[in-house]
Amino acid sequence: MSQEAIAANTAEVGRPTLRQQMFPSVISGVVVGAIGAAVLSIIVNAVTQGANQDATVAALYVGWVFFFFAGIGAYNDVLKWGFARREPTHAEEMDLAGKGRGLWRYFRWTTDHKVVGMQYLATALFLFFVGSMGAFMIRLEQSRPGAVFFPPSTYNTIVGMHGIIMIVASVIMISGPFGNFVVPIMIGARDMAFPRLNALSYWLLFVDIPIIITTLFLGGFQTGWTGYAPLAVQELTPGMMAYCFFIIIFAISTTVGAMNIITTVLVLRTRGMTFGRLPIMVWGVIFSVLLSLAAFPFFMLSQIMVVMDRIFQTSFFEGAYGGNNWVYQHLFWFFGHPEVYVILLPALAIAAEVAAVFARKGIFGRRMMIGSLATISILSAIVWGHHLYFSGSNNPLDAPFMLDTELISIPTGVFFLAIIGTVWRGRIWVTVPMLFVIGLLINFVVGGITGIYLADLPTDEILHGGMFVTAHFHYTLVGTAVFGFFAGVYFWFPKMVGKRLNPFLGQLHFWLFMVGFNGTFLSLFYAGLIGEPRWSANVAPPFAVPNTIASLFAILIAASVFVMVYNVIITLRSGETAVANEWGGKTLEWMVPTPVPLENFVGELPVVTSTPYDYGTPEPHPSDVEGRLEEDLRLQPQTLPQAQAEG
Amino acid sequence: MSEANIEGNTGAPTPVGQEPHHFRRVMVSWIVISVVGIVIWLLLAPLILPQGASNLDTADDFTMVVFTVLAIPVAAFVFVFLGYSLIFFRTKDRPTEDAVPLKPRPGIQIGWLGITGVLCLFLFIWGMIAYYQETSAAPNANTLIVRVTAQQWYWSFDFPQYGTSSQSQVIELPVNRPVQFIVTSEDVLHGFAIRAMGVRVDANPGEMTTTPVVTPTVLGNYTVNCVELCGLLHSYMWESVNVVDQSSFNSWITSQGGHP
Repeated sequence: MSQEAIAANTAEVGRPTLRQQMFPSVISGVVVGAIGAAVLSIIVNAVTQGANQDATVAALYVGWVFFFFAGIGAYNDVLKWGFARREPTHAEEMDLAGKGRGLWRYFRWTTDHKVVGMQYLATALFLFFVGSMGAFMIRLEQSRPGAVFFPPSTYNTIVGMHGIIMIVASVIMISGPFGNFVVPIMIGARDMAFPRLNALSYWLLFVDIPIIITTLFLGGFQTGWTGYAPLAVQELTPGMMAYCFFIIIFAISTTVGAMNIITTVLVLRTRGMTFGRLPIMVWGVIFSVLLSLAAFPFFMLSQIMVVMDRIFQTSFFEGAYGGNNWVYQHLFWFFGHPEVYVILLPALAIAAEVAAVFARKGIFGRRMMIGSLATISILSAIVWGHHLYFSGSNNPLDAPFMLDTELISIPTGVFFLAIIGTVWRGRIWVTVPMLFVIGLLINFVVGGITGIYLADLPTDEILHGGMFVTAHFHYTLVGTAVFGFFAGVYFWFPKMVGKRLNPFLGQLHFWLFMVGFNGTFLSLFYAGLIGEPRWSANVAPPFAVPNTIASLFAILIAASVFVMVYNVIITLRSGETAVANEWGGKTLEWMVPTPVPLENFVGELPVVTSTPYDYGTPEPHPSDVEGRLEEDLRLQPQTLPQAQAEG
Repeated sequence: MSEANIEGNTGAPTPVGQEPHHFRRVMVSWIVISVVGIVIWLLLAPLILPQGASNLDTADDFTMVVFTVLAIPVAAFVFVFLGYSLIFFRTKDRPTEDAVPLKPRPGIQIGWLGITGVLCLFLFIWGMIAYYQETSAAPNANTLIVRVTAQQWYWSFDFPQYGTSSQSQVIELPVNRPVQFIVTSEDVLHGFAIRAMGVRVDANPGEMTTTPVVTPTVLGNYTVNCVELCGLLHSYMWESVNVVDQSSFNSWITSQGGHP
């Protein structure tokens, strides 16, 4: 690059023209991506003489991804600075972070972590909306015995899409929006460690969404979200390729994002923000992304093998040609079980964070709780075999897998001890985020306890592969993790958007969701107990009653979705302006102005001197060491000089 | 769940002042609610759980009853503490001052870990013993062997001891005679399950898997389901199992072309 060009770039100030706004942006990305996809798939189709549909579809997706990134300007940095062998100036970095771009920065290759966080939040909400529509179609089909509303092929595709879209949405729902927006501010950083990778991780997710949608035009896929081979290999339509590529791209996105978050927390903590003072939310996100870093490569690997089986007939999983389907199941669940905790851990961390703020009380046994989250994340990596108890493959390992799985209940119990100790004798302010935390705790008890039945061999023998499993993991993933996500949304929305969500609509959302959710899945527990298998397009007559009840309750969940959507829309249009410290929290994100300025902190970075939970007196009372709970509670209250919590 | 806390409080002097004795009240409500919950569960369990039609299923259902009896106090502990806190420690509006921080004493932590650890070990040991008892029986000369072959999307059943296979969508099994299913698949993964008899194993292409030896104990009509998603018509992959007496079984097997 010539000296003049550098000068032109660095001197670039003032309002950009419309052409500069549009190119590069998501619009040019989509246009170039579509052209690239078309060209590449036509070439491959011609080369294979149309005999290998899967290869054509693979070329379509590869072209789409690579050319989208050309169109959105992802490679420009490499050209501008990589080949020029110079560092970008601060002004160039700020330009890349969307300075002076207005709302259009949300549609460009923008590196600001707050922009990426908002993009993730909008995407997560969009995916939840799409996925929940799938859920309502499932409930519609299962409301009556027999395949009434959809033919089985459509039903199976709906189930698979609902499953995989919801899994992707819930993997990103906390580490994406809050991990990118809130966590850097919480640790006192001006941005993520790798801002360009941050943009990359989001836009990889963005290009991924059209890929899973294309399955609808390619005949769908029949395997459900688990994508078990050899069914996935046998599949006659190329719709399965959409699933495989969706996973492959998503795994790259997750890995890039996870690495970025870990590095940020390791190196960009402000002065005084020791590991001992990290907010619990940061710990939750860290454990979650560490797990996803370990787990997602296996998912990606398994899908690459399926793609190779389909395109090149490699037969990794085809028994007739020397492959083995148990290999797929092990690879899948080696990812699949940690993935559940990737979703769950940050939700538990949000619960602790929110409970401390709204009980006006430090987290009871903070180190103990961090330890419990760490233990859960370690244990969760070695329990995958419980998904294969009745696969007929690994009998000698059943006992250790059963022990590992049940051991998880110990750190989970510690989490409950910590959270009960946090609300016990607090000054509980029941706001909408707090309501969702309460809902989370109630649902997590049910989800956790029903997990015991599935972990234990004699009871799993009558429940495996049935509706009981479906109800159980909806209690943990929806009842616990998604409730935690909504607690986070209502908690941080004022900080992220600068507007207050309507609390009445928030409460309505909560109650509709809570009642509808419990009604739906308690009846499905019953359906599973009496033996209904999962994935039935064609509900058998003995299971008709609980399924109809579940479908009726699902109407309440549907209503709650629309209440939430309405609430967000009216708040964006005409919501009250939020103050900087909306709830009286003590973590750093509440100390910066709302809306948060570019680079987060005006002037110097803050210096941290204590944990963010020093509500009440910081001194330990003598009775902490000996004496009884009741007494130290009774003696202390008058000694508090605290009023600093209010913002 | 929290005997450690109870012990710490016995013999404590009653606190002075108007402050009610929260901890004692919540512990009493926990015990009451747990006992009531367990009684209700024991009354309801026979109505909720389907009747066990084999020795395995009866044992599995019993394990389920036992685990639920243990689960009720655990769940009640969280619900009672949470509910009590929400009722009595709630502020009407934004709180103007902070609450008093509590610090966990080692006694609580160790006690809690100990109790959850013992519960967890109990579940594990019970599960291992129960499962061992169910699966340890080896097939003998009297055991009826049924070969199950799964295909997209139906089951076929062979009776090698009788030199025949089922000619229709129904099979019959003699009551009180041990039976073992040997399961395989022709194409993709299927899941062989008879809920009422407590047997379940995956049908893998190119592999033989076996269920434990199971003895049907109750006459009746039950269903074989596929419990692994196997493609288009997965949810139509049902077949009937009739448990009948020995003479009906003999005449049925003859009608299917077998030698009795």
